[in-house]
Amino acid sequence: MLFWLMPPLAWFSVFMLVPYAMLFYYALGSVDYMTFKPGFSAANFIRVFTTEPYLGVLLKSIKLGLITAAGSAVLGFPVAFCMAFQTRSAARRFQLYLLVIVPWWAAYLVKAYAWKTILGTNGIINKGLAMIGFHPLTFLIYNQTSVALVLIYIFTPFAVLSIYASLERIPTNLLEAASNLGASGWEIFRRIILPLSLPGVIAGSIITFSLSFGDFVAPALVGGADAVMISNIVINLLGVAFDWPMAAAIGIVVIAFGLTLISISGRLEAQGAVRS
Amino acid sequence: MPGQFLTLLGASGSGKTTTLRLIAGLETPTSGTLHFAGRDITDVPPTHRDMRMVFQDFALFPNLSVYDNVAFGLRLRIARRRLAKHEIDPRVRRYLDLVHLGEHVAKMPHQLSGGQKQRVALARALATEPEVVLFDEPLGSLDASLRKAMQVELKRMHRELGRTFVYVTHDQDEALTMSDRIAVMQNSRLLQVGTPEDVYLRPSCAAVARFIGAANILGCTIESVDAHGVQVRLGGGSAVRAATSEPGLGAGTSVRLMMRAEHFVFDRTGAGEQTSWLSGRVAERLFLGRSVEYQVVLDGSEETISVLDQGGGPPALPRDGRLEFGIRWADARLLKD
Repeated sequence: MLFWLMPPLAWFSVFMLVPYAMLFYYALGSVDYMTFKPGFSAANFIRVFTTEPYLGVLLKSIKLGLITAAGSAVLGFPVAFCMAFQTRSAARRFQLYLLVIVPWWAAYLVKAYAWKTILGTNGIINKGLAMIGFHPLTFLIYNQTSVALVLIYIFTPFAVLSIYASLERIPTNLLEAASNLGASGWEIFRRIILPLSLPGVIAGSIITFSLSFGDFVAPALVGGADAVMISNIVINLLGVAFDWPMAAAIGIVVIAFGLTLISISGRLEAQGAVRS
Repeated sequence: MPGQFLTLLGASGSGKTTTLRLIAGLETPTSGTLHFAGRDITDVPPTHRDMRMVFQDFALFPNLSVYDNVAFGLRLRIARRRLAKHEIDPRVRRYLDLVHLGEHVAKMPHQLSGGQKQRVALARALATEPEVVLFDEPLGSLDASLRKAMQVELKRMHRELGRTFVYVTHDQDEALTMSDRIAVMQNSRLLQVGTPEDVYLRPSCAAVARFIGAANILGCTIESVDAHGVQVRLGGGSAVRAATSEPGLGAGTSVRLMMRAEHFVFDRTGAGEQTSWLSGRVAERLFLGRSVEYQVVLDGSEETISVLDQGGGPPALPRDGRLEFGIRWADARLLKD
């Protein structure tokens, strides 16, 4: 018994407990002339919530994460709905599934760069506009909108798959029962399908929120000075400022925030438990 | 006929559920038309048919409470101005009381037992007071004692509400006990429609007789026809008279003879004259509690028939013992193939 527990325990300690312990160790210390000094002070955590740019960037990351989560859910729901209810054959469903999943086989960086070539000053849109005699549009890239756009594009498949999983579990006879009781298509959607798919929407939103909240590629490539996100700050603290304790403190805050979110949504889901 | 309890009875795959779904509009016929009270409803969507279905696995909405499940159809009718808001609550409570679920209104479907779910599904179907209630093997997933209780309940509700019930089942006992009329189906065809007595005592063909009550059916040849009925000779040489009125049967025709196991008599003196007598060797004796079943190999043939002794028969016969038994002319029926 103990023998079989060893590998997971070892994995858990080496890749979870030890790193977290190290994270705490660094976060409680300080830096003096580029050298780390161990300590036991909450000063770094206090700075996260009191000093700019940390608090502002944290809030901005949350905002972009929420926009991404909402956007992905809104875009992903119709696709998932189509896959679950509007496909006539399993083959058609699989094709749709491939369309959703295949972009994921390309590297994230490539896709983010692709957006740069679409939205950029010398990108496809602006070149096209120039050809018909317009000035290039500067608001397309290097702002929060472009970051949100790319994040939504990248993470929507997660929302689709998560929502599809919950829609697919809705038994057909519930829809038949609803229509038998006199419900129109919209009423069936509104009263049965939507409430029953809510756990999937929430789960998908948590995934897309967490992924986009901590993202650093999109802001680095298509976000300008206005769209710096919390991970970019962490990278700068680590690689440029050599302020590891501050970076560790931000990391812990981010992790704690993620855990809180997941437990709240777990609580919500348990309350509105939809079991058949 | 309005207000009747009609049962579609057949083995699985006989098309009875499909028929029910066609009636409800959940399935579209590839050919033919569907009429309701003289009106063609073939192309009327299910939403607009005044029929409610009770599904085999209940199909309760898991996100709605018992109350909201029952109110579902009624609330849709407010939107269509066919019902006023204040009518809903009394209606929901009346039908939940009818199915004895008055105290469970606030529960969610997953907190209910199978029988309770069944009754919620029933209340939900009845609450909109449709002309027709359709049942798709509604008791199929319940255990035996609960089934029996629900059968009695359904029968009571049918009597109290006076709605037309169309009921699908593969259980012949259920069909016989509950129905006003039974439609026996096989391979997507309607074999016979009649009262339970009709289909049991006067089946239209061998398939119906075999399906309902597992009758003994033997091949035979007509020997003579007279005013009192028909005399047939079995493969083994025994002669049996049947008081049939089937026209167009002449001597020499091959037909089938149906004899119900429980119709056999054993007392020669008490049986009366209009009885044919058979005998055979007991191949197996099965004690069933209330009765004894003999598997008898008829003399002069290999055919085994089942004979039920419900008291009045010979004292415990051993295997390979000889059994003599009679069948009244009126109880022997000739069937076409």
